[in-house]
This record gives sequence, structure tokens and C-alpha cells, in this order.
Amino acid sequence: MNERAQPMAWADLQAIPAFAVLTLGGRRWLLPQTEIRTLESVLDIDREVRIPHSVGAVAFADQWWPVYCLSGELQVLPQIPDERRACPLLTNGADRFGLICERVDGLAKPPRLFALPVCMTLPDSPIQALAWLDDGLGCVTTTEHLAALLAAAVETADG
Amino acid sequence: MAEASPWDSSAWILALDGQRSAAVGERELVHLIETPTLLEVPCTPAYCRQALVWNDAVLPAMDLAAWLHGQPVQRWRTLAGVFAYQTRPRAMPQYGVLLLAGIPVRARVADEQACELPKKPGKWRKAAISCFQQGDRPIPILDLPRIFGSSLL
Repeated sequence: MNERAQPMAWADLQAIPAFAVLTLGGRRWLLPQTEIRTLESVLDIDREVRIPHSVGAVAFADQWWPVYCLSGELQVLPQIPDERRACPLLTNGADRFGLICERVDGLAKPPRLFALPVCMTLPDSPIQALAWLDDGLGCVTTTEHLAALLAAAVETADG
Repeated sequence: MAEASPWDSSAWILALDGQRSAAVGERELVHLIETPTLLEVPCTPAYCRQALVWNDAVLPAMDLAAWLHGQPVQRWRTLAGVFAYQTRPRAMPQYGVLLLAGIPVRARVADEQACELPKKPGKWRKAAISCFQQGDRPIPILDLPRIFGSSLL
């Protein structure tokens, strides 16, 4: 996993044809739907197969996919909260892992995107854009940015 | 020859919380929302965690008092002021929101009222362009392009 992910170009964000909405700790995170390989259940997670910061792994397509649990603020959680039921497996070709969510929904049409205001953009922010959903805002990110965040968490823990 | 007015400009005095005030130019405050719908945005600075949808745009809602204090502040009520600013002359205006504790008060300000910025908190130097005295209180004049740019990060 790369610890630094470059911000996506606005034109590339606008060209994403479909998004999935992953609900984490009540927050809605949008990823390109093409980055969701499959949807597993938390019951499919083998909690004995672990790498640092993962809560287990899922066997899929002849490989182990490490599974992580993140808060709505994308902080690594060591335990799986009770309300988390779904486990989409994410991949962009270079990175692959599972992310435990409350729910995963597809969007019928691409949402309207807004740039995250400069004064709200922390260094290495995983947010590539804000998305206007029917009842509020969601944050657009990518598997690459989540992978960078997880790599940074591992690096920090290793000190 | 006309006599020069003792008043040089008009300003809005803003209550950032129960203690601290600041000012902006008369034309910088463009809208006031008394019961704003603020939307939380994760992974953002503690003093700018909310956004407001206004005129088909998503605006950052800056809690300048929280930034000055370095911690969240309590307000009896929270209003949202929408402010316009330009990053350079003749540029299109941009907009941002400051969270306020009360309705802004209009004031006339003369050059003779100019004073030093408050020494504490020292952060004022990053967020204000100048300051004037009103009664016994120094009122910093906000530098909106810096506040809504990346300078406070």
C-alpha cells in the first residue's frame, strides 16, 4: 500500500459513472462502484487471519483479503461494532482489502459533486469531493486513498 | 471645500462567542441565517467541521472562536453569517460562513480608532489585517481570504 495518494483531478471525478455509498459510523462515504469487487457478510470474516490493524480476512478468488474496520472519521477500530453487517471487498488493481460497513447502497445516478473547501482540507485528506445526496452530504474517496490512510496508520503504529 | 467626514468606513461587528468580537467591511457580510442547517463533514479541522448549502454551493462553516481558543466553544445560540471575499482584485467573489453568537452590529470606524491587535491569543495575527478600538475593546478586522484559504490549517 502506498502511503501517499495524489488528489484526483476534478475531470476524473466527474467522469466516474456510478458510485456506491458505504455507511461507516453513520457517515456516508462514496466510492467508485467499479472498485467494489463483491459484497461479503461479516459472518464470512475469518478473525484468526490477521495483519496489523485488520480485524480478520476473507477468502475470495483464491486469495486472502485483509479486512479493516474504520470509524466514520476513518480511524482504525480494533473491534467490529454490532451494527456493522456488510463487508465490501475493494480493489483498484494495486490495493485490495475489505471494509466493514453498516450498509452499502448503490446510487441510481451520479450525485452532484462539490469541491471540498480549501479551509476544510487537511493534509493528505481522503476526501476528494463532497457529494450532494437526497438528505445531506457524503464524502467521495477511493480505494487508493483508503489504502494510503491504512498504510499511514500501520506506519504510525510501528513508530 | 467640503469638510472631511470623521467617519472613514462602515463595518459589521461580529460576536464570535460570548467574549470575542471581530469586524468585517460593510460589503463583506452578504447574508445572515438565524437557524442554519449545518452539515457535518468528517476528516476536517476541528474548527471547520460543518458546511452549509447556500445558493447552490457548499460553503465551509468556520468556527473562528474555536480556532482562537484551540477548543470547541459553547454559544447560547448559533447564527451563520455568509461572507463574500476576493482573493485578488477583480476576481469573482467567493463565499464562506462564520459561526456567530449574535446578530452583527453596524459601526462607523474612523482612522483615529486604529490600534494594535490583541496580544492574546497570538493567533489573531494570522486571521486579522488590522484592528480598531471601540470603547475599551480592540476589534480585529478579519482577513477573510486568509481565513477561508489554507492559512489556518
